[in-house]
Amino acid sequence: MFRAAIRSLLARKVRLILTGFAVVLGVGFMAGTFVLTDTMTRAFNDLVDTGYAPIDVLVRSSNAFTAQTSSLEERDPMPQSVLQDVEAVPGVAKANGDVIGYAQIVDPKTGKAIGTFGPPTAASAWYQGNGFRLKPGGSPPRGPDQTVIDAATAKTHDIAVGDRVEILFEGPPREFEVVGLAGFGEGDSLFGATWAMFDLRTAQDVLGKQGKLDTISVVAEPGVSAVELQRSISEVLPKGVQAVTQATVVSEAQDQISTGLGFLRTAFLVFAFVSLFVGAFIIFNTFAIILAQRTRELALFRALGASGRQVMTSVLVEAFVIGVVSSAIGVLAGIGIAILLKGALNATGFEIPASGTVILARTIVVSLVVGTLVTMIAAFVPARRAARVAPIEALREAQDRPGRSLRFRIIAGFVVLALGIAPLLYGLFGTPSNGLQLVGLGVALTFVGVAMLTPLIARPVAATIGLPVRLTGMPGKLGRENSMRNPRRTAATASALMIGLGLVVFVAVFGASAKASTTAVLERTLKADFILISPTLTGFSTSAAEDARAVPGVDTVSQVRQAEAKIEGGTAFVTGLEPGTFPVVSEVDAVQGGLEDLANPNSIAVFDDTAAENDWTVGDSIPVEFPATGSTRLRVVALYSENGLIGDYAVSLDTYDVNVANVLDTFVLIKADKGADVAAVQADLEKALSAYPNIEVDDQAGFRDRYATLISQVLNLISALLLFAVIIALFGVMNTLYLSIYERTRELGLLRAVGLTRRQTRSMVRWEAVIISVMGALFGVVIGIAFGWALQQALEPEGFSELGIPGGQLTIYVLLAAILGVLFAVFPARRAAKLNVLQAISYE
Amino acid sequence: MSATNEMAPPDARTTVAARAVGLSKVYGEGDAAVRALDGVSVDFERARYTAIMGPSGSGKSTLLHCMAGLDTPTSGQVFIGDVDLTMLSEKALTLLRRRSIGFVFQAYNLVPTLTAAENITLPLDIAGEKPDRAWFDQVVDTVGIRDRLSHRPAELSGGQQQRVAGARALVSRPEIVFADEPTGNLDSRSGNEILGFLRSAVNEHGQTIVMVTHDASAASFADRIVFLGDGRVVDEMLEPTTRRILDRLKSLEG
Repeated sequence: MFRAAIRSLLARKVRLILTGFAVVLGVGFMAGTFVLTDTMTRAFNDLVDTGYAPIDVLVRSSNAFTAQTSSLEERDPMPQSVLQDVEAVPGVAKANGDVIGYAQIVDPKTGKAIGTFGPPTAASAWYQGNGFRLKPGGSPPRGPDQTVIDAATAKTHDIAVGDRVEILFEGPPREFEVVGLAGFGEGDSLFGATWAMFDLRTAQDVLGKQGKLDTISVVAEPGVSAVELQRSISEVLPKGVQAVTQATVVSEAQDQISTGLGFLRTAFLVFAFVSLFVGAFIIFNTFAIILAQRTRELALFRALGASGRQVMTSVLVEAFVIGVVSSAIGVLAGIGIAILLKGALNATGFEIPASGTVILARTIVVSLVVGTLVTMIAAFVPARRAARVAPIEALREAQDRPGRSLRFRIIAGFVVLALGIAPLLYGLFGTPSNGLQLVGLGVALTFVGVAMLTPLIARPVAATIGLPVRLTGMPGKLGRENSMRNPRRTAATASALMIGLGLVVFVAVFGASAKASTTAVLERTLKADFILISPTLTGFSTSAAEDARAVPGVDTVSQVRQAEAKIEGGTAFVTGLEPGTFPVVSEVDAVQGGLEDLANPNSIAVFDDTAAENDWTVGDSIPVEFPATGSTRLRVVALYSENGLIGDYAVSLDTYDVNVANVLDTFVLIKADKGADVAAVQADLEKALSAYPNIEVDDQAGFRDRYATLISQVLNLISALLLFAVIIALFGVMNTLYLSIYERTRELGLLRAVGLTRRQTRSMVRWEAVIISVMGALFGVVIGIAFGWALQQALEPEGFSELGIPGGQLTIYVLLAAILGVLFAVFPARRAAKLNVLQAISYE
Repeated sequence: MSATNEMAPPDARTTVAARAVGLSKVYGEGDAAVRALDGVSVDFERARYTAIMGPSGSGKSTLLHCMAGLDTPTSGQVFIGDVDLTMLSEKALTLLRRRSIGFVFQAYNLVPTLTAAENITLPLDIAGEKPDRAWFDQVVDTVGIRDRLSHRPAELSGGQQQRVAGARALVSRPEIVFADEPTGNLDSRSGNEILGFLRSAVNEHGQTIVMVTHDASAASFADRIVFLGDGRVVDEMLEPTTRRILDRLKSLEG
């Protein structure tokens, strides 16, 4: 039996390759994710190691926790006098004070601020041992007019030593001469951050930290250990300032890297899993078709004395071989995918230092095991079915045997569907701690349940989709009939596509709902005529608002800031606003109390649903923990309803600035004078703010569009990753067509004999592909909308008030599925057309 | 040797529906070469029912396939009417099969997804033409499957399926119908029905039919029998009867 299994594998190479391909792509995605994140982890860890190598102890302010979302560490500076105290500690060879803060370099060629999505845009002091290394041809910065910038930014934006650049800060912008370029460790930049460095005095000046320091880097005298030195330095430090060893700093940084990359890894693995899930459907379908075609052969084995168990084992052996071989190829493909993804990430400005590709044993083992298991699990049901083939089948006609009863399938399908919907709804609407996993499990089971039920409606659906196709002529009619003849096969093939497209549609519906909801709430609440915003949402200098106030025709200017905090153990965003002016530029429906009471010190306003969840009311005092300043208690003075700009918590700018180290405006909302020429005011604002290339002046519609665009960008990325699954599903369509053509050889021969031309034959196969693809797309649209609707309902309390169904986009998806179906049918169609008529019609 | 001499027509164009001229077919190369047809020249007269007989490997199926444009001869010519098939492109051949040739095979004659009626009009539908309604009705009634028209092949008996195939072969009024062992898979009663139906198509509608068979009683329905042996025409017989055919076969084999 074992030999028979291998023989049967080798006998059908095309099918083998196509089946394997589904596994190769899924495993490749998974292995690629491991390789990429491992490589990045290694590269970044090396970078941190070399960067911190020169120092032994770091002195810094202590913080309550490290904010995940802020690109610069939130720590309050210490007085400069600490430096002298540290220098005086025995065993200290050298101590360098440093400050660090927000700085954005302006590209001198384009006049645009150089931004990043994620890595910091920063400035700090230049000193020997800060991790940066001056490139040849440059000199260290001296005096208020000189800067050294990171080599990566210089390279990307074509900035050379001797150029003058404008740099934006929390305070007003300034211009400098670039006197040198520096790389970090072995790389050209620090994780893709843009970096400008000055002498300490200038750095303190431009960062608004005169007489203050953020860190002191200490080098020990020979023979003094870091731990000893850390202990003795700690003794001279004032309260709130701590000394840590180099090892601690490195491990903290590496922890942060692994957290960040862990998130990336999980996200990519989810998509890899989706791909494998779709792949499993294709494997299942392929095995089901092949075994049906081989029924007579299997029955012959049975008639010759093979047991059902032996038949099943032979099928599983076949699946095992396909699984192992494809997974192995998948690992190789994954390494290629990792290199591609690395390139893609580099292209988006997330620079990864050059280093060897890291392939861990775990990557290979997990990929092989998962790929092989998925293949075998998918083949299990067909294998069991094969084991039940009766010996008598050997004597029956192979084709078009009556289908088995669907009753079991209906019951099982509905059971699985219910098992899927239950955790899905509980995960969405209940508040379990593992909600995300529950939803994931629910979605997967729902897909399986729906896929089990689709054969029930596949025939009428194919017939309906095929109605217009039928009118195109005989090939269309035959294609339609072919798509209807085996509903299980058509449905299983379409189901694979349904999963991929269902998720894409779900993302589209989610995005459209997010856009519609945001637009709706902003239309209701936004009263400002203009909004100042930085395109990367990094925030911008608080001095911009001052400049805006001076513009004629401007009535009210209201600044808004946002920072991370911990409230009730969870991460929360606290908005800083001006209680006096904010209501002028934005409609705030106070459910209880009033926003103006925020002017009282240590007060906070809370979104009413959040307050209800926590059982807070006006007058309560709630604990809020800021990264730099730690825990404090703020008194609730107001509860407000959905606003769109301020999230769950709002405090006054005063309270905000006391607790946050890096102060930047996120938005500045501006109301023009009554009767002012709005267009003219906007032009004047743009002129007045020309020194801030990182700021754009949006009008209301522009601001709403910006949000919509941001949402689209994120969702497009997700859709692109889901495309992988869609492509795998299309290979499934191709596979089914190949197998069907093989099965219909005689019939094709007959059609060719009675006058079907090659072109018509190709057309017939393509139409079948179109019908299957469109069916999969339609199923996907339906289930995607259903998921999107469920999520929107679940998120309604969070402000997801509208369900958006992007009709145009969905129509394009369905049309695209049809076109891609045609594309993937090209090879099967050619195979069908090339068929040797004589061989096809001759009988043994 | 030439089969045409026996009843040489004054004008071949009107009385010869198809002919082979010096037809050879060699499979394989060198030592492994098999000469399936070895210089066969034969005419098939219009409105006549011709059977081709011969032992296994005599080349009778190869001759039929070459005549029908399903196989390409190694040398020689094949004419359907006055069109030389060996000069036609693959596409032109397909169109010719569609318009001028009808087929009845031993098995796998019908497209399982189409109803009997759709199977009958298949060549016309492929060509995008409308069937001649009166003729369709006549053919359907002749084969006696009117009450089965909306059934799919799986719902028809073997004999019914073969009658549908026969109706399909006739409905486009082809120049010539080729039948390849049309009764091979049928019991004798169903077989006789098909043969009788083919016979009546010749008698009543002037249809030209060429049929390959190894069954003497099937061949006895024909007007003329061409005997093949080792890829050559070795004999022929007019007005055959089963007995004469069996005798002839015996003598040919002996």
